[in-house]
Amino acid sequence: MKRRMTRGVVTRGVLLAALALAVALPLLAQAPGPDYGEFNFLGLDRRGAVWIAAQLHLLFAAFVLGVPMFAVVIEAIGMFGGDEKYDKLAKEFTRLLLVAYSATAIWGAILVFFLSTLYPRFWAYLTAIFAPSMWVYAGLFFLESFTLYLYYYGWDAWKKGAAKKVHWCLGIMLNIWGTIVMFIANGWLTYMMSPPEGLTADTAPQTVQLWSAINNATWMPINIHRLLANVVFGGAIVGAYAAYRFLTSRTDEERAHYDWMGYTGNLIAIGALIVLPFAGYWLGREIYEFSQQMGITMMGGFMSWLWIIQAFLIGILFLAGNYYLWIGMGRIPGAERFQPYIKWMLLVLVLGVIVWATPNTMIADRDEIAAMGGIRHPFLQVLGVMSAKNTAVNLMILTTFLSFLMYRRANKDPVVPWARAGTMLQGAAFALCAVVVVFYGVYGYFVTAIVRIGFSVYQVLAVLATILFVIGIDMAMLRGAKSRGEIRWGRMPDRSQYALLILAVTFTWLMGLMGFARSGIRQHWHVYEVIRDTSEQAFTPALGPAATIISICVLIFFGLVGVIFWLGGLAERSVYQEAEAEAKGAEGHAALGEPMPSPALGDVD
Amino acid sequence: MTNLKILFTVVATLAVFTFVANVIPQVQSAVPREIVLSADMPPEELAAIGEEIYAGAGGCTACHGLGTRAPDLLGVVGGVCATRVPGQSCKDYLWESLINPTAYIVEGFDPIMIDQSIVSSQAELWTLVAFLESQGGEITVNADDFAAALAADDAAAAAPPPVAVTDPSQLDGMAIIEAQQCLACHAIGGVGGQVAPPFEDLRGQDPAFIRESIVDPNATINPDYQAFAGTMSPALAQMMSPAELDALVEFLATGGVGSGAGAEAPGDAAEVPPDSAGGSR
Ligand code: HEC
Ligand code: HEC
Ligand code: HEM
Repeated sequence: MKRRMTRGVVTRGVLLAALALAVALPLLAQAPGPDYGEFNFLGLDRRGAVWIAAQLHLLFAAFVLGVPMFAVVIEAIGMFGGDEKYDKLAKEFTRLLLVAYSATAIWGAILVFFLSTLYPRFWAYLTAIFAPSMWVYAGLFFLESFTLYLYYYGWDAWKKGAAKKVHWCLGIMLNIWGTIVMFIANGWLTYMMSPPEGLTADTAPQTVQLWSAINNATWMPINIHRLLANVVFGGAIVGAYAAYRFLTSRTDEERAHYDWMGYTGNLIAIGALIVLPFAGYWLGREIYEFSQQMGITMMGGFMSWLWIIQAFLIGILFLAGNYYLWIGMGRIPGAERFQPYIKWMLLVLVLGVIVWATPNTMIADRDEIAAMGGIRHPFLQVLGVMSAKNTAVNLMILTTFLSFLMYRRANKDPVVPWARAGTMLQGAAFALCAVVVVFYGVYGYFVTAIVRIGFSVYQVLAVLATILFVIGIDMAMLRGAKSRGEIRWGRMPDRSQYALLILAVTFTWLMGLMGFARSGIRQHWHVYEVIRDTSEQAFTPALGPAATIISICVLIFFGLVGVIFWLGGLAERSVYQEAEAEAKGAEGHAALGEPMPSPALGDVD
Repeated sequence: MTNLKILFTVVATLAVFTFVANVIPQVQSAVPREIVLSADMPPEELAAIGEEIYAGAGGCTACHGLGTRAPDLLGVVGGVCATRVPGQSCKDYLWESLINPTAYIVEGFDPIMIDQSIVSSQAELWTLVAFLESQGGEITVNADDFAAALAADDAAAAAPPPVAVTDPSQLDGMAIIEAQQCLACHAIGGVGGQVAPPFEDLRGQDPAFIRESIVDPNATINPDYQAFAGTMSPALAQMMSPAELDALVEFLATGGVGSGAGAEAPGDAAEVPPDSAGGSR
């Protein structure tokens, strides 16, 4: 019964999206009269409407693209490692996809509707260039949803032997379709940002080569950056789901499961986050290469404050991530040993965030200098220069790594004879690394700028080398280590789960902010330096108003995600059915307004 | 209860972010208005356009209005302009301040302002003069001044573009430095301004860094020159052709050795024209 309900929502969403596309494409290719349609809803103008629809579509899309990537990996771990619990977890991830998928489709349809009615002329322009790829997009979308059904509903039917492998391949196909779909859509949006050379406002869209339009300067960098960001995002949302289920669960068994799931989601998110900056720098470089003007707008122009906010958000991610790990030590026997260090690590992190978010090198634009009434600030001046920032971020990464290490070590006592020496060696490596980082940080104040840039490379290398070296020792040292007891999954205070929630909200907001950055650097252009935005909303809003819209989007997103989690919970209750039934009886289900599901349903589902 | 707490966590987090983003300086990026200038504009309209350029594309506020780097102009300059140089009218003095700023140097300030005709057209400069006159005085810019400026701009726009040299080794780094007035702030061989790092310091540095410092001067700020950070205009790089930029970077990185013709002969090869100087953008 639940299954039918879930599927109903999904089918409706897909149908709706298809309908809208089918109607919109042919209808609008014939450039209707006015350039812009009218829209006003509670003070929201046409740009706001498209903005919110696009952002929500993107958030759901990022989720349905990110989750299959690690669902497949986790399924493989279960399949080859033979541990049932991984398989269960992968399936649970996939269940979240079903409803999220229909939300993606519905928001996509709303977006198409808004675009085609509020920006009819520009929409006609885009369809004239991209129509074939739009059809492929819609087709793949269907293929993808079909694969998803097979993947999810076939889970238990194809559980053994070769059938399991086939099932796993379905998961891989799901990823392939999803990736192509995203790449196609990225082609449209990067075209607006970095159109191929030689286009002018008078170029007839029909004459633009489709492939040159898609394969533009920023297409690949954005593809890669988004691919990674989607994994981070998927991990974070899964973490939030687990946190939600943890907080509302009734049995210890359930709590243990969701504690573990939350931990895994968080690990995925943080792991992918560490690679993201590299992809980001590549994207940034390509933007500069495409247009120095655009690069300057992004990094130094009216947006430079955006990067300070980004630093602030990343600081919160670091703090919340570490905080979660530290609390997590409470459930590991033997972790008490490490408690005294935590306050110092916290101190390092907080100082790091402060230094990092201190504006100075960032104040760049003449307008801002005027807005701040001068560039000199006696205190900010010392902290704000690059040396200090690099030192801060490297120490923060080092500290986070130390948290992970303690976490890993907490319940183990190494048995190798050189354990003591090994630990001291690790400590020495940390100390040496910190000394190197701080040394170059301080020295950086006494050398010219270019030498200083070279220093930041030494700092990063020192941190990477330390991480590799220390992990190497750790793996050798903990081989056959004596356990002080198993991790007591589920024995987690509630506040840890709120940290996971804050992580997820922050990631989501960060994503909205960066989306604003991407779209905002086009300034008053629909297609950068080709098609002008002539509507009243052509100006680019300041960060304050932008942040308000982003917050609205995130709020709607979490509202809907809450419903999805709740549906996911309904469909799945029965996994813990027996235990729960004993603990709470029928009263729990009555509260949900649902008749008691038969115990077997969830497993078949 | 739990659900409420969750809701509260989400909303509170969002509220903090929204709040932070609203308390930082709010800079909106306006749509650049296509400024259509014509000779029959009333003076007030000229001044209004001048004000827009002053606060925007002209980049004047990087120095003026902070009180430390350059004299305050708003509300005062229209009153003092006629008294600066004996025998020079307000209008002429202001015009000269823009195209030849070092002719008269206000006491207590460094001569770091560059010839504004590098980045603005003549007609735009006259709107600035009109605006500055209105700050404490009468606008005397008239249709004749303006018509002449427009004609000069048109002539500049119609002139055949300078032969584009695409091979950087054919260009002279020193000549570019002079044409772009880098020496208002930087010094080379002891000659030039003191408010920015001497160019000798750049010898041997990474060309990519030098290029970035020119294209986006605020990407990294030399800590020894914090006090004047923000004064170097990114517009300078946009006035150069890619080949000129390449030649300039090469010249600075190698200390002059790598550059082509006449590298060590300042002044000789000054005919390298800035790419689009004076053209209305
Ligand atoms: C790099 C910093 C800088 C920039 C940018 C700059 N100025 Fe100046 N300006 C100065 C300094 C320093 C002085 C005083 C020294 C001098 O007279 O040259 C000055 C002097 C002046 C004066 C003479 C003031 C007096 O009291 O006699 C005028 C007029 C003026 N600037 C206008 C402008 C306008 C208009 C712009 C924008 C198009 C502009 N400046 C951009 C630094 C700058
Ligand atoms: C209005 C003054 C001014 C003018 C004109 C000017 N600069 Fe600068 N420049 C500065 C200041 C101040 C700094 C140091 C602050 C900073 O790093 O931004 C600087 C820094 C630099 C740097 C980086 C040096 C370092 O050690 O960080 C380079 C390279 C440079 N300028 C090149 C040029 C070139 C080439 C020109 C001519 C096209 C030029 N500048 C014109 C003021 C100026
Ligand atoms: C710690 C470093 C970084 C993090 C955590 C991060 C995170 C993100 C996230 C979550 C998105 C949204 C992706 C999406 O919408 O699918 C994004 C997009 C973006 N990022 Fe980053 N990023 C980082 C570094 C950078 C850097 C260094 C740059 C450029 C200099 C950059 C430029 C962009 C741009 C322009 C977008 C918009 C692209 C889009 O809308 O998809 N990022 N980033």
